Amino acid sequence: MLASRWLRLAVVAASIAAGAALWEWVGHRTSGAFMAPLSATLTRIGQLAASGELFGRAGSSLALFFSGFALALLVGAPLGLLLARVPRLRIALENYAMVLYATPMVALIPFILSIMGFGFGPKVLVVFLFAVFPVLYNTIEGARSVKPELIEVAQSFRSGEWQLWRDVMIPYTLPYTMTGVRLAIGRGLVGMVSAEFFLSPSGLGEEIMMGSQNFDTSLMLAAILVIIVLGVALIDIGRALENHFARWRGLS
Amino acid sequence: MTERVRLLDTPWFLKLAAGVALLLVWELAVRGLAPAYVAKPTMIVRVLATVLSDAKFLSAATATLTAVASGLALSVLAGAAVGMTMGRVPWVELALRYYVNSLFATPMIAILPLLTLWFGYTGDARLATIVFAAFFSITVNTCDGARAVPHEYLEVARSFRAPAWKSLIDVVLPASMPYLLAGLRLAAGRALIGATVAEFFTSINGLGYYILFNSRTFRHNEAFVAVIVLVAAGVGFEVLVGWAARRFMPWSRRA
Repeated sequence: MLASRWLRLAVVAASIAAGAALWEWVGHRTSGAFMAPLSATLTRIGQLAASGELFGRAGSSLALFFSGFALALLVGAPLGLLLARVPRLRIALENYAMVLYATPMVALIPFILSIMGFGFGPKVLVVFLFAVFPVLYNTIEGARSVKPELIEVAQSFRSGEWQLWRDVMIPYTLPYTMTGVRLAIGRGLVGMVSAEFFLSPSGLGEEIMMGSQNFDTSLMLAAILVIIVLGVALIDIGRALENHFARWRGLS
Repeated sequence: MTERVRLLDTPWFLKLAAGVALLLVWELAVRGLAPAYVAKPTMIVRVLATVLSDAKFLSAATATLTAVASGLALSVLAGAAVGMTMGRVPWVELALRYYVNSLFATPMIAILPLLTLWFGYTGDARLATIVFAAFFSITVNTCDGARAVPHEYLEVARSFRAPAWKSLIDVVLPASMPYLLAGLRLAAGRALIGATVAEFFTSINGLGYYILFNSRTFRHNEAFVAVIVLVAAGVGFEVLVGWAARRFMPWSRRA
């Protein structure tokens, strides 16, 4: 590790400054249709924020993201827990859950478009499909880690079904579910942008498309930059949640 | 009687029964609720052989899978080099950390329009999307691996007077391999998504475009065969990497 705290800060600052300078330089050197300078991109973000358009767009994207994501949690986590409690059901279904987890869901978008058409529903479905399988799969993994002895002990102390869930199943599975949640955030964001591109255009995705069709590169880069910031923030929240619950894993 | 109960309880029977039940639910739901063109298992089976021997389909599959394979190869070379440097040289790690982590978190599809602007509506844009999708997960994982090399290994190498480049190749590289493979598995899934999306976007020949074209003309059963091939490619690659790790890297217990 580098010795001094100041030296570390200086390296980070220098690297960010170099990246910004490079972006600015490339933006000025090439045609405006290829790349806009960083300054023009930031000015554009400022204008979009001032006119309120930015918040409308970002709000619409986030509403889509959280609708699909919440649905994925509501379906994925309870279903995973149910499979945890009923081993036969788990054995029967876990391989199919794995294959669906490995399926590139983006390939299903054209089917969804031609069956369900435009509108908010099909877009939520896309985000849901992207996000649900990481949650389900990791919850099942967690369920497998619940030791049968724990359930036996709880039952020999005459725990009811509800107490068994509250004191054993849920606390032991939740850390794994949270790993799934972190992965689902990343995938859900891809689903969000895909839905905004390929189903009815809306939100930040539509902004990127408009920029690309009109060769308005600064608009496109502004929207991309906002998506990157949102993505990093959401994934950091996911990681913080995961770390918080990961401490429970040390319980056994 | 007990024999029969035992048969019904074996894992393979449960899995088979569940598979049949899922297909049945799909078939009946589509027959009962959806328009006739929507894909259903019996129709997919009927068109499977025709599609798989169709020259157009084969050229689409070849185009996509070749692009994914070459994109992954490029990403492995570049990602291993950058990741190992980051893992072993603290100031490089500090300088690149924020770029690599935030681009890893970026939904790669968002920069697709930018890539088509730079590379045109060509196979190059698809290759660039694949590399962008795959590179960062390999870099991040290799970096973690290179940092996790046990200190004693490097000390032994040093006390035998191994030059720095030699201990990099003989100690750091093999020790980070399991991490690199974990990154590669993640990257393969992302690369398949990247290739499909790039083909939707640029309408160049490939499985993604095959799906798009056939679903637009309401030939969903044919289009679904392409989805099956994509899934098979993803799962097949997963199995291959797992097998290679066990066969060639006995020191990797989980990769």
